[in-house]
Amino acid sequence: MTKSLVAGALGLLMPALALAGEYNISVDRVMIDTGDFVKEGIGYNGSSPGPVLRFKEGEDVTINVTNNLDEATSIHWHGLILPFDQDGVPGISFAGIPAGETFTYTFPVVQSGTYWFHSHSGFQEPNGAYGSIVIEPKGREPFRYDREYVVQLTDKHPHDAARVMRNLKMMPDYYNRKQQTVGDFFSDVSEHGFMNALSDRMAWGDMRMMKADVEDVQGFTGLINGKGPDQNWTGLFEPGERIRLRFINSSAMAYFDVRIPGLDMTVVQADGNNVQPVTVDEFRIGVAETYDVIVRPKTEEAFTIFAESMGRSGYARATLAPREGMEGPIPSLRDAPLLTMADMGGMHGMDHGSMDMGEDDMAGMDHSSMADDGMKSMGDNQMDHSSMAGMDHGSMMMSGNGAEDPFYAKGSGLVPTAANGGKFLSYADLKAQKPLYEDREPTREIELRLTGNMERYSWSINGVKYEDAEAIKLQYGERVRFKFVNETMMTHPMHLHGMWSILDTGAGKWNPVKHTISVQPGTTVFMETEVDAPGQWAFHCHLSYHAASGMFRKVVVEGGPDQGSNAGVKQEQVGGDV
Amino acid sequence: MKISKFCLAAAAMSLSATAFAGGSHGGGHGGGFGEAGKAEDVSRSIQVEMFDNYFEPEAIEVSQGETVRFVIENNGSLVHEFNIGTPEMHEAHQKEMMMMVEHGVIQGGKLNEDMMNMDMGNGHTMKHDDPNSVLLEPGQKKEIIWTFSAKTSMEFACNVPGHYQSGMYGDVNFGGGADTHASAH
Repeated sequence: MTKSLVAGALGLLMPALALAGEYNISVDRVMIDTGDFVKEGIGYNGSSPGPVLRFKEGEDVTINVTNNLDEATSIHWHGLILPFDQDGVPGISFAGIPAGETFTYTFPVVQSGTYWFHSHSGFQEPNGAYGSIVIEPKGREPFRYDREYVVQLTDKHPHDAARVMRNLKMMPDYYNRKQQTVGDFFSDVSEHGFMNALSDRMAWGDMRMMKADVEDVQGFTGLINGKGPDQNWTGLFEPGERIRLRFINSSAMAYFDVRIPGLDMTVVQADGNNVQPVTVDEFRIGVAETYDVIVRPKTEEAFTIFAESMGRSGYARATLAPREGMEGPIPSLRDAPLLTMADMGGMHGMDHGSMDMGEDDMAGMDHSSMADDGMKSMGDNQMDHSSMAGMDHGSMMMSGNGAEDPFYAKGSGLVPTAANGGKFLSYADLKAQKPLYEDREPTREIELRLTGNMERYSWSINGVKYEDAEAIKLQYGERVRFKFVNETMMTHPMHLHGMWSILDTGAGKWNPVKHTISVQPGTTVFMETEVDAPGQWAFHCHLSYHAASGMFRKVVVEGGPDQGSNAGVKQEQVGGDV
Repeated sequence: MKISKFCLAAAAMSLSATAFAGGSHGGGHGGGFGEAGKAEDVSRSIQVEMFDNYFEPEAIEVSQGETVRFVIENNGSLVHEFNIGTPEMHEAHQKEMMMMVEHGVIQGGKLNEDMMNMDMGNGHTMKHDDPNSVLLEPGQKKEIIWTFSAKTSMEFACNVPGHYQSGMYGDVNFGGGADTHASAH
């Protein structure tokens, strides 16, 4: 027994014990009790979530992973920069870990910050196979705190993940409880007029989507560190202390809007990379993202960590308190957002993308006059879809709540606002604390259209599913600019393995460095990647059921120092991996 | 730096401060936390370095009545402030600093001097010229002379938005030693 890792899972600070650390992880069948239901799942070292792995920058880690399942498994170290054959994606990095066998990962730890790990085999991750990674930096951090906690979120579903996938394939709206009803239609009619309500409905039908498709898998219980809302995970503090909370969203599908009523949160890190501190009242954490915040409760009272899912179909709750057993008030869920026509984005050739929202893009439509006689022009054109772009968007439930964020379509219904009316974090607020790479012109651009057909629950990139797609080939040493164009109605958290994703917020050398980038409906988002890691890597939407149904690519980096070492990897398992 | 060290620093910090505690010692900027000092009274110099986003050192020892010359150098790549005051003063000042960022006075690693001197329409400017603070661009070095006439809970802090909140402050500890400066008079 080299080192026990379980002890630190929910504990206070653990001084790093490791020099060159060896770690043992077993992959086990476990029972997961959410407080709402008990469900068999998969965990590590006997529990789900698994342990907090505490590494030190500069350490050489050896991790023995023993598979106690009766099926193959794998562990992917999400966000870690490492040799590709240690990245843990069956069929891309290695062949996987067969039932009953032990696989030993070895790699140098070359970074610091908050990360996580999870199975990349089948649906083991949504079934519970995830844990967290905390890497202590070599030097001092650009901030300080008195204690720290990992706050790992997930959306635990009572159905086994394979069953969820089958149900979605059979009936894409199976888990969508917020479908619009005939009653909604008549209330739309009274608010917006018959023609507008009808054309709105027809437009949505034409896209094979529904306005309520913010979350396509509802009915989950939100967990924090494995505890459901009633089980109330609690982190202790002394008033006046600064507490670092390491938020990790390990959900299969759910984005969370996180706040701690009564406390400001100063965001100091995103996806493991330090950002210039920005103080907010609330932030949205995409699937697979991490945000580290510092809070400072000054009074002797309990504060609720409240994480509402983006579609308001569920929430996770935990508590910060001076003593065990204390509870703060639990807010009620806010109203669910409804997608608007703006979130239709590039569909029908309408370009409402926030990134290049020029009036010119609107094909010469005169919006000011449309606003007055939109009804008349609709009447003239009847339901001709080719004229959709000419409709009066203003009266067509086009506008959301009036809030704006450059990373959401203009008029989007999804733009988040803080519950207390204060500051809600935007991607535009994220600035690298210390640029990781020299800023330089990209050598070329690759466009990736995020595509899907909701009617068949089929998701793809550039209209092609993973099993039918060629690998994306990159050259070692180039800097590639990826252009994500989201042509679907859903938000996609895009995750490139092995190399950093430099999100273009327009901040030049201060652009933040991430591993997962959310692309909102109807928007175009750019990221740049310094191609500095040879081998082959996965690149996919991190929503489990989207990745599994085809929104996934293999990336091959050609050239570089280790050229040729990837020749022996067989592609045995295609698709299905998350 | 070891995290345990942070705990010690926090434990050493007094959190029970009341703003403007203690009698006014007159002169300068709102009594109670000291005042701008005179060069001839300086008993010693303290070098303070600014990095992104922390000070070195993160605690200083002074005695009541002492006049200290602070030599402050910004060795980071962002704009930073050095401000002596009580925690409550810092909190209030953070709102002003937020305004300076929102108006483009502070832009990451740059200060917009023209903007700082502009009349805000009510006779006020966003000049940052209080005697208890300096605002420095990367590479800049400035001095403050401060007399610690009042013994109260004080910190030196950078109130650029987010910096104080993430820990860019230092403790001013009043030593128990004799009040050398005062007794010399």
